[in-house]
Amino acid sequence: MPTRALVTRYEQDLALFPDFWQRLGLALGIAFLLAFPLTANAYWLNIGTLTLVTVVGSISLMILTGFTGQISLGHAAFLALGAYTAAILGSRWGLPFWLLLPAGGLVAAAVGLMVGPFALRLEGLYLAIVTLGLLFLVNHVLLSFPEVTRGVSGISVPMHAWFADAGADVSFRKPLVVGRYTLAFEQKIFLLYAVVVAVVVWLANNLRRSNAGRAMMAVRDHDMAASVMGVNVSATKIIAFGVSSFFAGVAGAMYAFQQQYITVDPPFNLTMSVQYIAMIVLGGVGTLTGAVIGALAFTVLSPIAEMVGHQIPWVQNLTSAQQSTLLFSLLVIGFLLYEPMGLYGIWLRVKRYFMAWPFRY
Amino acid sequence: MGDTIQLLSSGLALGAVYALIALGFVVIYRASQVFNFAQGEFLMVGAFLTVSLASTGMPWALAVLGAMVGTGMLAAVVERVVLRPMVGRPVFATIILTIFVGMILRSIVMIVWGTSSRGMPTPWDTTATIELFGARVLVNSIGAVGAGGIALAAFFLILRYTRIGVAMRATSSDQEASLALGIPVGRIFGATWFLAGMYAALGGVFLGMFPRSVDPNLGFVALRAFPAVIVGGLDSPLGVVIAGVLLGLLEVLAQSHINPELGSFGQNFHAVFPYIVMILVLVIRPRGLMGSREVKRV
Repeated sequence: MPTRALVTRYEQDLALFPDFWQRLGLALGIAFLLAFPLTANAYWLNIGTLTLVTVVGSISLMILTGFTGQISLGHAAFLALGAYTAAILGSRWGLPFWLLLPAGGLVAAAVGLMVGPFALRLEGLYLAIVTLGLLFLVNHVLLSFPEVTRGVSGISVPMHAWFADAGADVSFRKPLVVGRYTLAFEQKIFLLYAVVVAVVVWLANNLRRSNAGRAMMAVRDHDMAASVMGVNVSATKIIAFGVSSFFAGVAGAMYAFQQQYITVDPPFNLTMSVQYIAMIVLGGVGTLTGAVIGALAFTVLSPIAEMVGHQIPWVQNLTSAQQSTLLFSLLVIGFLLYEPMGLYGIWLRVKRYFMAWPFRY
Repeated sequence: MGDTIQLLSSGLALGAVYALIALGFVVIYRASQVFNFAQGEFLMVGAFLTVSLASTGMPWALAVLGAMVGTGMLAAVVERVVLRPMVGRPVFATIILTIFVGMILRSIVMIVWGTSSRGMPTPWDTTATIELFGARVLVNSIGAVGAGGIALAAFFLILRYTRIGVAMRATSSDQEASLALGIPVGRIFGATWFLAGMYAALGGVFLGMFPRSVDPNLGFVALRAFPAVIVGGLDSPLGVVIAGVLLGLLEVLAQSHINPELGSFGQNFHAVFPYIVMILVLVIRPRGLMGSREVKRV
């Protein structure tokens, strides 16, 4: 049973939104993203913006872990690098945010490329531990140069719309007034991040279906077989590390701009890395849709876990963060045991049922 | 001279604890190719169980033994319920699974025992010291080294001379062949997890002693034992014991001799130092000191 209509021409294969239902989904998605910041209250708008940041982060981990099969426990390190690049360059030289988002990505990618060669010699388990060491090292370095990073006290993140040394107040945080309508900062940043997410999803999707992405999946499924078939395993792993840490750095910079004030630990600790792993397992390892669904489920379920957790007698002693950690741990274990493809797997089954309806194939 | 002996004794004590934790990792890895990231949480459960059992008025040695058996049983249950269905699934999945098992155990510990920290009871005075070669050495340190040594010796004796030890070695070398020979591989998995849980609990008891205390962050110390596992070689019990002791010594020596040299960079440098050593070892000799070379076959 094919999961999409049979393709007979290359144009059909290349089309991003080949059939009516996907175009409908796209239109609904765009409408929702435009309407959400105008209608949601501050609490949910904040969660929405954080969701967009998380989507970029989980896509970046999906490229490394889901596509290439390299486990990283140090994902938070790359986010921290992106966030601190944005904070330091923004406050020192007043660079605008549209320069700092890719700059955060580039710094993280540079470190990712340095880790890449380790991945060539190490298999799953060893790599997980080395990346964990990388997380500790990065946090240590960030904390030990307080004259640059302001150490444990944290650093505030200015968000300039243009080069700040021009003199005028160019902060992106000012509300935008268009005629009678006013867009508050929270609404502006949501719309901005929606665009960034769209670009990242598009890039990651093109990566997935291009030569490089297929090489990654070949390496994941069987690296020796892949190398026999002519895939350059070393280059593929290093590319995966570079691309993944670039997007992670972008996510980190986005997170910094959204939070306005960041510290090293929390949030950039092992818990964050593990949360990202939870997301991609929840969504469905190896699929781009899974990364997006997983991030959505994670950020939307967290407030719900809090609400439910306060009702359960034993669990209510925990803080809300611990409650959501407990819920997600149970969910992830359940999915790993019974539905390894995650929410995406469930969605596929539902879709197939309706495509075959009224027959049970 | 006195200072050095004092440092060496606390380094050895830390190293003995690392060796106990690392041994737990290796036992499980050899038997079932699972790297158990929840080992730190087993350690924490063991420490809290000891505290609770000792507070009921039970003699200390019995409390420690009870905690070891309890943690061992918990580990065996975790193996049976969560990890047995994962046999044959990719390494990736089991690693993630054990991480989240650890998270759940941490939550359970916090629900049952709360988040406050408490002192680990000891049969001797917690801060007692004795004179040794002109240095004042904590009795706790000597206890850790002694108990660690006995536990490790017991491990090697079990592995070499008992039926179950031989069965464990057989299982770790070839699961299918041992199954064909009538070894109950499933039960051997359970036994290895039981053993690993016991060693984790023992490590937790000595880790929770003065100058540290027992709190829900104790489990994170197991993260510091990872380098010992890697440096020693994942499938070599002797290697990780040696590496554990060496890294414990290195960490304590780094704390007193390297940290002050590095200025502000040196703050907490000893905590990341084992990881730097580990990365260097991985680059030069990926299989560790005594691990066997991995052979890949298609």
